[in-house]
Order: sequence, then C-alpha cells, then structure tokens
Amino acid sequence: MLEINEKNCIGCKICEQVCPFGAIIVDPEDKKAKVLDSCTLCGSCVNACRYDALVIKRKTTSKEDLEKYSGIMIWGELEKDGSENLQIKKVVFELLGKAQELNKTLNEPISVVVLGPPGKIPSIDELYHYGAENVYYCEHELLESYSTDGFTTAITTLIINEKPSIFLYGATVNGRDLAPRIAARIAVGLTADCTAFDINKEKQLVQTRPAFGGNIMASIISPFTRPQMATARPNNFPIPKKDVSRKGNLKKFEIKIEKQTIRTKIIEETISKVDTINIEESDILVSAGRGIGNKENLELVQELAREIKGIMSSSRPLVELGWTSHPIQVGQSGKTVSPKLYIALGISGKIQHLVGMKSSDIIIAINTDPEAPIFKVADFGIVGDIFEIIPQLLKKLRSYLKK
Amino acid sequence: MIIVVTIKQVPEADKVAVNPETGTLIREGVDSILNPFCEYALDMAIKIRNDNPDITVEIITLSMGPPQAKMALLRCLELGADRAYLLSDKDFAGADVWATALTLNEAIRKIVPKFDLILCGKQAIDGDTAQVPAELAETLGIPQIYYGIDISVEKTKIRVKREVENGFQIIETRMPALVTICKGPFNIRRLPSMKNIIEARKKSLETITAEELDVVNEKLGLNGSYTQVVNIFAPPVKETGKIIDGTDPGKAAEQMMAFLKEKKLINF
Amino acid sequence: MNIVSSNIIYSEKINFVPFNEIRKIQGSQIISLDYPAYLVDESKLEGTADWLFFPKSEAEVISIIDFLREEKIPTYISAARTGIVGSSVPKCGSIFSVEKIDKMLGFGFDDNSGKYFCRFEPGITLKGINDKILKKEIDNIKELTPNAISRFKEEKKSYYYPMDPTEMSASISGTVATNASGAGTFKYGATRDWVKKIRVALANGEILDIPRGKYFASDDGAFVVKQTNGTELILKIPSYEFNTEVKNAAGIYSKPNMDFIDLFIGSEGLFGVITEVEIWIIEKTPLISNVLFFNSEGDALDFVISIRDNQIVKPEFIEYFSGESLDLLRNVQTKNPALINMPHIPIRARSAIFFDLPYSEGSIVSNFKEIEEMVKLCNTSLDTSWSGYDNREFARFKHFRHILPETVNSIIAERKRQYPNLHKLGTDMCVPQEKFGEMMKFYHSVLREASLEYVIFGHIGDNHVHLNILPRNTEELELGLKIYKKFAEKAIEYNGSVSAEHGIGKIKLDFLKIMYREKEIEQMRTIKRALDPLLLFNSGNIFEIEGE
Repeated sequence: MLEINEKNCIGCKICEQVCPFGAIIVDPEDKKAKVLDSCTLCGSCVNACRYDALVIKRKTTSKEDLEKYSGIMIWGELEKDGSENLQIKKVVFELLGKAQELNKTLNEPISVVVLGPPGKIPSIDELYHYGAENVYYCEHELLESYSTDGFTTAITTLIINEKPSIFLYGATVNGRDLAPRIAARIAVGLTADCTAFDINKEKQLVQTRPAFGGNIMASIISPFTRPQMATARPNNFPIPKKDVSRKGNLKKFEIKIEKQTIRTKIIEETISKVDTINIEESDILVSAGRGIGNKENLELVQELAREIKGIMSSSRPLVELGWTSHPIQVGQSGKTVSPKLYIALGISGKIQHLVGMKSSDIIIAINTDPEAPIFKVADFGIVGDIFEIIPQLLKKLRSYLKK
Repeated sequence: MIIVVTIKQVPEADKVAVNPETGTLIREGVDSILNPFCEYALDMAIKIRNDNPDITVEIITLSMGPPQAKMALLRCLELGADRAYLLSDKDFAGADVWATALTLNEAIRKIVPKFDLILCGKQAIDGDTAQVPAELAETLGIPQIYYGIDISVEKTKIRVKREVENGFQIIETRMPALVTICKGPFNIRRLPSMKNIIEARKKSLETITAEELDVVNEKLGLNGSYTQVVNIFAPPVKETGKIIDGTDPGKAAEQMMAFLKEKKLINF
Repeated sequence: MNIVSSNIIYSEKINFVPFNEIRKIQGSQIISLDYPAYLVDESKLEGTADWLFFPKSEAEVISIIDFLREEKIPTYISAARTGIVGSSVPKCGSIFSVEKIDKMLGFGFDDNSGKYFCRFEPGITLKGINDKILKKEIDNIKELTPNAISRFKEEKKSYYYPMDPTEMSASISGTVATNASGAGTFKYGATRDWVKKIRVALANGEILDIPRGKYFASDDGAFVVKQTNGTELILKIPSYEFNTEVKNAAGIYSKPNMDFIDLFIGSEGLFGVITEVEIWIIEKTPLISNVLFFNSEGDALDFVISIRDNQIVKPEFIEYFSGESLDLLRNVQTKNPALINMPHIPIRARSAIFFDLPYSEGSIVSNFKEIEEMVKLCNTSLDTSWSGYDNREFARFKHFRHILPETVNSIIAERKRQYPNLHKLGTDMCVPQEKFGEMMKFYHSVLREASLEYVIFGHIGDNHVHLNILPRNTEELELGLKIYKKFAEKAIEYNGSVSAEHGIGKIKLDFLKIMYREKEIEQMRTIKRALDPLLLFNSGNIFEIEGE
C-alpha cells in the first residue's frame, strides 16, 4: 500500500503532477498528500518525492520460496503446415531468441514444451539449434488438436513438477486462450501481449506491454508468484542465429487425461491458404483503403503485393462493403500487425486503423489528401493518386527485379 | 436460458495519450463508453434470444467498476438486457486480472448461480489483455471458447464459430460455458428507441458492495493482485517521415523505389 | 439604447507594411494551374483572377487594399470557400485570401452578461475555434479582461461556439459575412446574435473598429464615417423593412436606428475585409439525439407544432426528412448499409423528425413520456424511433443528417456524366409559421404535376426546409428552373425570404429581384458606392452594379 509520512510531507504537489492516474492529491485543507482509489502502486510518486514522504509497502514472498523456481520455459506451439503435418510456430523461435538474451543476466536453463498426437510431433532438432537446452514433450492422442482443457492440464502438470521461474507463450489465438487458464489454475500473475522483456536488479522479469490501444506503455512485474508468466506479441522479437551444432535433452513426460477431461470438440475446421489470410505473419503488407474506389481496383493492390512479395490487407470500410474479408482487416476491430513494411494505399489513417498497424517497422502511405492522418505515422509518404503512382512503381519494380 | 454478459466501461482508448513532457495520462476530453467488444457480446446474447423464440432467454449484465460504470450498464439495459449489476466498492479498486476474475466469480456464484452461458468481449480496449474471461471460466470450472463470432444453441450444447489465425473452427461444448466474442453479429451497431430508453430505467440496476459479496479482503483489489505496474511511459515518438508531392507519378515512384532500396525492403 | 450612442464612427490608419513583402501570386495561368481551388467555392461556379494575395496580418491587408485602389484592380475575398452561392468566386481581378490570418487573439469575460468571449483573426475555422474552446487550449492568449483565462480553465463545464452551419470548416469571417445559420438557429439564433465586435478594412485603406452597442443609426437613417483626412462618408441605411420575422439572409440588413455592426454582418463582403471577429461562447449542454418516424407528412407537421408549443420539452432544433428523402436513403441503405450506419429505416415511414433535447438523467424519462403523449395524437409511437446520447452516437446521428445532401450530390455527379450541364436545384426559402403548411402543399403539388424527382429536408423548426430537385436530363433542368422561380414568388407572396441562410452570392441575383423592388436594391447600391466607390470588393455579389 502507498503510505504517506505526514511529518515529512510539505505539500509541494510534485506527486500530484507526476501521477499518471490522478490518484494522489494534496489536500487543500491540511496541505498533506492523500492517496485515492485509483492508485495502482506504480511508484512514480515515490520516485519523484524529494522529502521521503511516500513509501510503498508490498507483500513479500520469502526468498527461499521464490528460489525454488528456476528456468525459462516456452510453449512450443504447433500449427498445421498447410497439409496434415504439424510444424513449430514462428513465434517459438522468436521467444527462444529473447530467452537467450534474458539469460545473459539470468543464466538459467531454457526449455520448450511441445504437446501433440503420437507420431506426429515434428522434428525437435530445430529447437536446439535456436537455443533450447531441453525439450519436454508429451504425446497423447487427446492432444491431437489444441484444446484448452487438454493443454492446460498437460502444461500445469509440467510446471508443478519442473518449477520454471519464467513461462512464456506467443500471444497467438491459442496462446491467449491457454495462458490465462493456466494462470488461474495455478494462481500466478500473467501479463499479456508483451513487446519487451528485461531482467531487473532483483532478477525479476520486467514485462512491458502497450495499453490504451498502444497510446501508453506499461512495465509490469509478478513479484509474489512463480512462474512469472507472459504472452508475447508475435512478429516482434527477432529470430536468433541458428547453430546446427547445438544439441539438447529430450525429456518425455506423461499426463493423465480422459476423453471427459476435454470438454470442447472441434466439429469443423476451415483453414485457408496461409499466404492469403495470415496477415499477422507476413513481413510485407500492402493495405487498401477507401481511396481504392471500387472492388475491381483491388487487382492493382494485389499486383503490387505480389511484385513486392507481400500480401494484401485492408482497412475496415472495405470489409464492410464486402470487397475484402475480415481475416485481412487491420485495425482495432480487426488484426494488429507489425510487419517490416506496411504500405497504406488510399487509407486516411483514422485512429481505429492506426491502432492496428502503427508499430510496423516502416510505413509508406499514398493518399490524395495531404492532411490525411496516415502521413503522421508514415516514414515515407506520397501525396498523390494511387492509380497513377502504382502503375509507375510496378514498372520500375519489374525492371529492377529483372536485373 | 440465462446468459450473463460481463461488461466494462472504458475510456475511448484512441483518445487517451501520455503527455510526453509530463508523463501523465491526458484525461481531458476523453469520454467513457461501453467497451465495444462487450457490446458485441451483448449483441450476441440478443441474437441468441432472437434466434430462439421458443426459449425464454434472460440476459443479465454484470460489471466491476467505479460508480460511473452504471452508465455502461444502463446502455446494456437500453439495448435489451433484462437486469444489471454493478460491483462497486473502493476495496475492488486497483484489481489486476486475477483479482477481477475472482470478484466476478464470487458475484456470479451468488447472484446468478444457475447461468447457462457467460459471454465476454474479446478484450477491453484500455487494458487489451483479454485474460479475465479465461481466469473467470477456470475459477467457475466451466469450459471456455475464445474468439467466437457466432453461436448456435442446441438444447444443452452450444456450437461456436471461432476465428483463428488462418480461418475458422466450429467448436461444440456443453453448457454452462463461457465464450468471448470478437466480432458483433449485427452489421450496424444498434440504437435504442425512445421507448427502450424509458423501459431501461424501469429495469433493475443494482450496486453490490464488497461486504455483500462476502469475499475476504486480501483477495480483492490491489491486495489480491499478483501483478504490479512498475512504470508507465509514452511510447517512443516516431519522427515524421518524408512526405513528397505525387503530381509527377514517375518521379514519385522513383523516389519510393529509392526509399525501399535504402531500407533494404527490396532485395530478394 | 445607449444614451451616449452616436452614429459617427472614426476610421483609423494603422502601421505600414511594404507591399513587396507580402506573399502574392501573379498570373491567371499559374493561378488556374497551381491554385485552382481558389477559383471556385462549393457552388462549383468557376471564376478567374490575375492575382492571388495571402496577407498574414491586418497591416498586410491594408497594404494590399492600397495597391488595389491605386491600380483599380477588383478583388474577391476568400477564406474557406465553403459558401454555396459563389460569393468568394472571383469574376476577375484578384483573389484576397485571408486564410493565413487565422490565430486566436484574445479571451475575456464580460461581467454584465456573465458570458465569456473570444477574439479571432478572420481565417480560423469554426472547427478550429471549437477545438480550442472545448479543450480549453488557450494558453499564451491575450487576456482581454483580468484573469479571464484562469477563471475559464477552472470551469468544470465545457464551452463552445454554438453556430453550426453544418460545414465546420467554414471560416469565422465567412460566417459573419453571410450571417450563417444552421439547425441550431432554432434555439440559438443566427451568427448575427453571437458577434460582439468586428474590425473591417475599408476600400479607403483605413480600419473601422465596430463593437456592438456603440454606434446606432440616426433617426433620419444615416451613419457617418469620418476618415483620417477629415472627409466624411455618409451612409444612408435602406428604408425597406428587412424581414426579421423569418430566417433571412437575402439582401443588406436594415432597421430603424440599427446598430452599425449589423450593416456588415450578412453583407457578403461588399463593404470591406473583416480583419477581426469577437464572438460569445456558451456552456455546452449534454444532449440526446432522437429521430421519430411518422406515417405521413401531415402527422409530422402536427408533431412539430405540438413540440414547438410544449412548455416542458425544449428541443435544441427540429429537423425534417420528407418521404422522398427517406426513399432516397432507403435506397442507399439497401446497397451500402455501412454508409448510412443506422438501423433500418422503417418501411412504413413517410416522414421523419429529427430533434435534440437537453439530456439529464433527472429529466429524460419525464420528457420522453411527454413526447409519448404527443406522438399518440400523430398516429405513431415511441417504438419507431432512434435515440442516443453519448459521443459516438452523436457522430452517427449527425452523419445521418448529412448523408442526404451528400447522396443528392453524388446522384447529380453521376447524371452529369451524361448531361454535363446538369446541376441540382436547391431551394433555401422560408415562410412565416402560419403559411408553412400551405407552402409544403404547394411544393408537393407543383413537383408531382411536373413529375420531377425531388427531396425535401431541413430546419422545419424555423419553417425553413430545403427542396432539392434532381433533374434527370436537360428538359427537366429547364423545367426545374422555371418551377424554382415559381416557388420564390410564392415564398415572397407569403411574406417569406428567398434565401434563409445561404445568401445571394452570384447565383441568386434573380431571386433578390423577386424579393426586393428595384429602388430598394438601388438603396443597397448607394451604401456600396459610398463605402467602396471604385467597387473593389466582391462586385457581383447580391446585386449587379454598373461599373463592375
């Protein structure tokens, strides 16, 4: 709790000024600081106070209890590779890279957990090549497809037995379903959709994530519970260098589950071709907005996407008009993407759209309106007619690529 | 059939920003609204009611929040919910995901123990964590399905069309169950009629305090939270890029090519 | 009336800025190639000019006027060019753009009236004004009365400038020059009621500083402007009665012992360049937007009468959509529901009334119950209605009101491809309350007989609706023009106005002639010649004048 030492407080109001939540005010009557309900114990005021009038008393878990936990564990999520075979999702390798970086300070074993049906688990060597020391795997026919119940039971069993101090998941569709379920089952803290991880002086995992649609960043710790769990935004951390000479330990584990354990049943599955729909995984997106005029003109957008080795995405109005489909919608009610290159064609850049793409590495925008908000986030922009510029660009791209 | 819709009142997230000079949240001129995804969840409940005229479907909305969150619950009543409950107490303040889920869990066990379906919005546009639904489902001991876009009811079971990265799944489970909704079932956001506005204010909207919930204080609010915010800051400000005139399309295209080359974005 | 009032106003000279320092573009070719937007306004009338000026201050304005006077070059004052009657379209000569003079100059509080006021340069837009006021972003602004800004910042409520002529990108000086009004005029009046002071640069190169309430016309109907060289300009105010019974933006304002400031408001730039405007602002009341659907036009009209007379329910404005309008919108909704972004328009509805009410939890139910009683007598119920009170809903309701004229414009644009001469025919007439029902019947009967496509919508609260005829070919356009004239004549016969809010500009000159007799128009010319003998400013607006 935030405690105020009234003897030391002189009512200078610095705490009032620095509080991001308006949760501390200086009482006009007695000129002493008073804390309000909206306090989140973020500590900004404690840092700013020059008179030692503020202190945060936190719950403490004994060091011995916390030290029983060691190791960084990552959920090795699998996906279908387009046929019936399973492959390891890209985000797992991204997390391995991040784990290696964290280990520069932490120096604990890195493991990956893989769950799947018997005989179908893909080659695990790659995991060693990218930094895993151990791979824990469990084969069970009830783990054929992802299910909340099956995977929660399996991973919880492993966590209780192996006691990792950190457990990371990709913030994928299933990752965001699984992680909080596990967090509730073993009663630990979980931070979602992180874009940065660090280790602090106390060797705790500092988890940084965007909030308010990306308008603010928050850094969070889970000081009392282990493992410290977090889901991490895919396509955010770089994939580490591959070292084919690395080897690791394969550790099989068993779980006890029956058919009744798994309460959800997949009746039907329609997986479309990965490259047309999965805009979250593409490095290059060519995105169409209202300025495209009509459905037929999307052909031009597709052409550019093909030429530049990217895929087409769109803003919300086109989905509502039925010219494009929801899986390729970028924005607050669609997908959040952070590709290496995002080309916005005829997109004005309303805030609901920006929220979904503004963390892209490079943004290029073409729009006839010089005041279009998209230009505020663009690294390169052209105020002009896409129907004149894109054909020219295609010509130049083609002649350049021929060389 | 009883459907519980958990809702949250949130600031219009796109208007919230951190003042880069002072590091404080700019709160002037930011309105509070019913979280859009929670509105979709409510709409899904309404759609289930419309699709099943032979079943009596009661829709109960529930929210944990400060007193002004009442307005978001009122909106739900205007849009067709039957009853609303606000869990509001200063002891609830500062709750993280876990403490929130526990509080909601207690409330549902006390107020609506015989529910069939819980619908939640996929995420709140302020926190963006999407964690409370799963933690709530776990504490209630019921199955969960995330990212539903359509639900059909077959007696004691539901079939949910679920959106995944590359397409869709249809998942079936037995009720009671929890589903999070990521897209509304109606094309256009609904509006209440003037009649709905009057009727909503006749419906039950109760505030429940911590004492009435009878939850141990250590589990609530800040005390019950396992995560702690240690820092809030503005995201790095992007420098304005180069904006050029496109009146000569050939020249503009050339400059764009040069930019792409410079950034090593075309070098396959 | 102020005992110490006077009808004598002294014009002032101000600091000199060398003409060559002022930003200007010369050459009609360059202007039409690089600055084509300055040759048109929203009426799409096209003009031409050899000069384009961008002054940055009042001093530069004077310097340009001196140049124009010496070289005898006519000029057309241009701000945001959102007008729809061609007032800012240059016939020849030069374009005088004030868009770069767009800052907030001052803020004050008037103890007598208990109201805040703001001072602005002419080029700032209404949107720009409201952004500053609503967010209270007025630091580093001159305080016109002590502590006005700190007092304002402590106000918990939001404040705003209530004039909303739909197009919020209009400039403040443009709205003063045309005496702009909008839906809100029902409750808040027109721009004239909100202007506290203006500064005007005259053709003689001197400035008039005109606060409201200081200068009044003498009993024999004259103002005297005393120039710095000692000579006088005598301005005789017109002797006609400017119609103030109805919304009226046609012609030069006149009233016995009138306030001098009112001569300039609504004068469409004929008398000088406005270089400063002071306006009042008020508290923003939370509102709830509502649309009620009716089964016939008659029912809607009955409802308007009863809600207007009601003692408990006080709408901010009352707007109308006719059955033809709803049909047009239904059409769009079927093809493209996201464009309308509202629930389905009820199939049986043949008219709709749109109104905002002050909103508070304490009064909403009783207000709505009162309305419920009213609608029962008009053959409809509160079930066929839409209602909304948070910001996201307001945006939808506002959008819904504007999608109709936008749709009309796009239909016309489509038809223009086949018939390039086509344009929409939009009326802006209003009549006194007691004649409104008959005027509506007249509109419908004439148009139905002519089998023309049309929509009717607008400020029914002020008995001022817009009729848009959508001609399908050239014959229909000709027929429409004839009918339009008939409507104007009828409106005058009923003691109304040919232009309630858009002004006369260059395209409604004929209608002015229907409303005023030739000798009345000559009285307007007399003032023009006195203030601007070389006819430098905006010639061709409101009336033709020899020597243009």
